[in-house]
Amino acid sequence: MADYDVTFIERDDTEARFLVRGVTPAFANGIRRAMIADVPTFSIDTVRFIENSSVMFDEQLALRLGLIPLTTPLGGEFDEDDTVTLALDVEGPETAYSGDLVSSDDMVQPAEEDVPIIDLKDGQRLELEADAVLGYGQDHAKHQGGVAVGYRHLQRVEVVGDRDEFRDDEPEIVRGVIETEGGELVPTEEFDNDLTERYPDSEVEVHDVENAFVFDVETDGSFDVDTLVQAGIDSIRGRAEELKEAVQL
Amino acid sequence: MMVPVRCFTCGNVIGGEWEEFKERAREGDEDPEEVLDELGVERHCCRRMLVSHEDLVDVVAPYQ
Amino acid sequence: MDLRVIEKEDNALSIEIAGEDHTFMNVLKGALLETDGVAAATYDMNPEQSGGQTDPVLTIKTEDGTDALDALEAGTDRVIEKTDALTEAYESAA
Repeated sequence: MADYDVTFIERDDTEARFLVRGVTPAFANGIRRAMIADVPTFSIDTVRFIENSSVMFDEQLALRLGLIPLTTPLGGEFDEDDTVTLALDVEGPETAYSGDLVSSDDMVQPAEEDVPIIDLKDGQRLELEADAVLGYGQDHAKHQGGVAVGYRHLQRVEVVGDRDEFRDDEPEIVRGVIETEGGELVPTEEFDNDLTERYPDSEVEVHDVENAFVFDVETDGSFDVDTLVQAGIDSIRGRAEELKEAVQL
Repeated sequence: MMVPVRCFTCGNVIGGEWEEFKERAREGDEDPEEVLDELGVERHCCRRMLVSHEDLVDVVAPYQ
Repeated sequence: MDLRVIEKEDNALSIEIAGEDHTFMNVLKGALLETDGVAAATYDMNPEQSGGQTDPVLTIKTEDGTDALDALEAGTDRVIEKTDALTEAYESAA
């Protein structure tokens, strides 16, 4: 039955672009939605201020703290609504950075160390305790592990003849990834998204390739791309199993 | 006030790039376009977060 | 996942699947349409602002000889197979 084929076009820890052949649009969209809304990440949810003499209000700082990505192990070490406590104590003149947060758990740490939280002047001080909870992107964007997750059809470019000599010099813009007649996969950025750059003398036709989707996946640092994709797929699988069990009863 | 932690539109974390951007493109005389490219801030939604930001902490500091 | 059967005949089923959204329902519907013996499958879901029924209602019609509930189970099996196949394809490429 389902015969999928995955090819990576770009790949590193937090950003990847890959082609999947053989998926239906419904399934591709399910995976995309699951990666955005149904993969949980840790994020600061409650803050107890012990001292805040900075120029920002408590709630403004709490919002900033919530947006800092925290590394989230998804191997079953944590359950929904588990809490990890982080503490911060910085005295001015100095800037408080996300890296100054001290976590009670080694596995849950700020994913980026140099995000400024607040600039403290002479005599200002910030001391607080914060609780991070495991939550879903569905409920709040701060729990969204995937950033700008999306897909496009793979586009096949075919040369159908020579370019008209007196044709207008208009660019032919395509975005995403194209497949040439030789079967080569080329990201459109390589030729400035303009087909006339790559095929200056030919007349070309562009068609969407059926059931072939190029996914762009980026994470906020909570985990790597592989973990995110896998967790998205597993989330769909988990629900299918749950439904199957419920139907069998 | 302080630089936003994330891009308003896509949610990418851009706060960490601010200080380098400020040092090189605001206080220094490098081309902001090149600095953003080097920092890996690709999308124009994220780029405007840094380009259009103004630190106001120093301005309001005397009032607290 | 709470199920509530709204209508059940041999070749037709209407069932409310509480707590699910488009993410899973559309995948399931897509898989059901590819399943043997299924004549029609769709789901209906209202937005939160509607103030009424917001849980999705899945409706399946099957051809003679296929029980609608069995078809639903076959559909879930198909979704599981798809996820397994994609995991495998992803891992072998990674």
